[in-house]
Amino acid sequence: MKNPYRLLGIGLAIGGAIFAPLAYFLIVSIPLTAVSLSAVILGFTSMALANARPYISPESADIVLKTGMENTAALLEELGLNTKAIYLPSNTREGKPQAVIPLVAGNESALFKGRLNGRLIVRYDDNPEVMGIAVTTPGSLNLDQLPNKPGNNPDEIEAAITYVLTGLLDIANAVKINMNEKQIIIQVTGAKLSYENTWYYRCLGSPVASIAATITCEALQKPVRIVEETNHKKTSRITLEVLHEVV
Amino acid sequence: MRLFNRYLIILVLVSALINVLLAMLGQADLSVYFIVNVIAYLVITLLHVYFNPPARRALNGVSVVLFSGFLVIVAMKVFEILAK
Repeated sequence: MKNPYRLLGIGLAIGGAIFAPLAYFLIVSIPLTAVSLSAVILGFTSMALANARPYISPESADIVLKTGMENTAALLEELGLNTKAIYLPSNTREGKPQAVIPLVAGNESALFKGRLNGRLIVRYDDNPEVMGIAVTTPGSLNLDQLPNKPGNNPDEIEAAITYVLTGLLDIANAVKINMNEKQIIIQVTGAKLSYENTWYYRCLGSPVASIAATITCEALQKPVRIVEETNHKKTSRITLEVLHEVV
Repeated sequence: MRLFNRYLIILVLVSALINVLLAMLGQADLSVYFIVNVIAYLVITLLHVYFNPPARRALNGVSVVLFSGFLVIVAMKVFEILAK
């Protein structure tokens, strides 16, 4: 399929460029000439946007995303993991933020003790039975695309999540954040890929929540967990819990 | 691509509104239409801060060209006034 923005741009630019002299010299109408000039401006704008479209089609991206999610879900299902994933900042996982799904709930405070190894199965406590599965989530890869690393205040986190979800990925319309010391409530309006009751989503959250959790944990430099995700009238409400070190 | 569509729709509506309003006010100077349209374009583009980097770069290129046209018209008007 031809790029629709390029077709629209070429049509408007050529149409405007042909009509402008006609309107100015033959029809002798300044408003119509101005409309032609506006069409030329819009045409060039549309052509500029055409070059910013992704290389692969949305359908291909959807297939790749679903394949990855199904493979991870199969692994979680096979291991019988039902615990909620804990999103870790990059400094604890060899430079890339990841999510750890504990085999058994509890002992989260052990995750603060230092860097974890970069393997799939990670042990994070002296007790050999305390371990989890570390997986890469959609948000892990998007962090590199942020122009600046967000700071730990709500405005910066909100701006970073909005930039990724709205500007880069185009899977939401707007993001709003309410934050206190222990909980962060993120409201995402017009979210695509919202929550479904599947094994993957129960453990790791929807892709939108996963991206929001990854950016938040990186901004705060603290592990976070998706506690709840609800949808109401095209608005997803994501509740994140900030995990604090237990001394 | 909803963000791109929304941006283009806003540009179309605003430029149509500007042209209709100026025509209704009896404006007969083409440079006035151009300047107001360019200002509207620059403001709307600046307000869309969440575009991805390739889109931002491409739109910056269009903005530079339009702003240059704006400066040329302003310079011509200034010379016109000074020459009187």
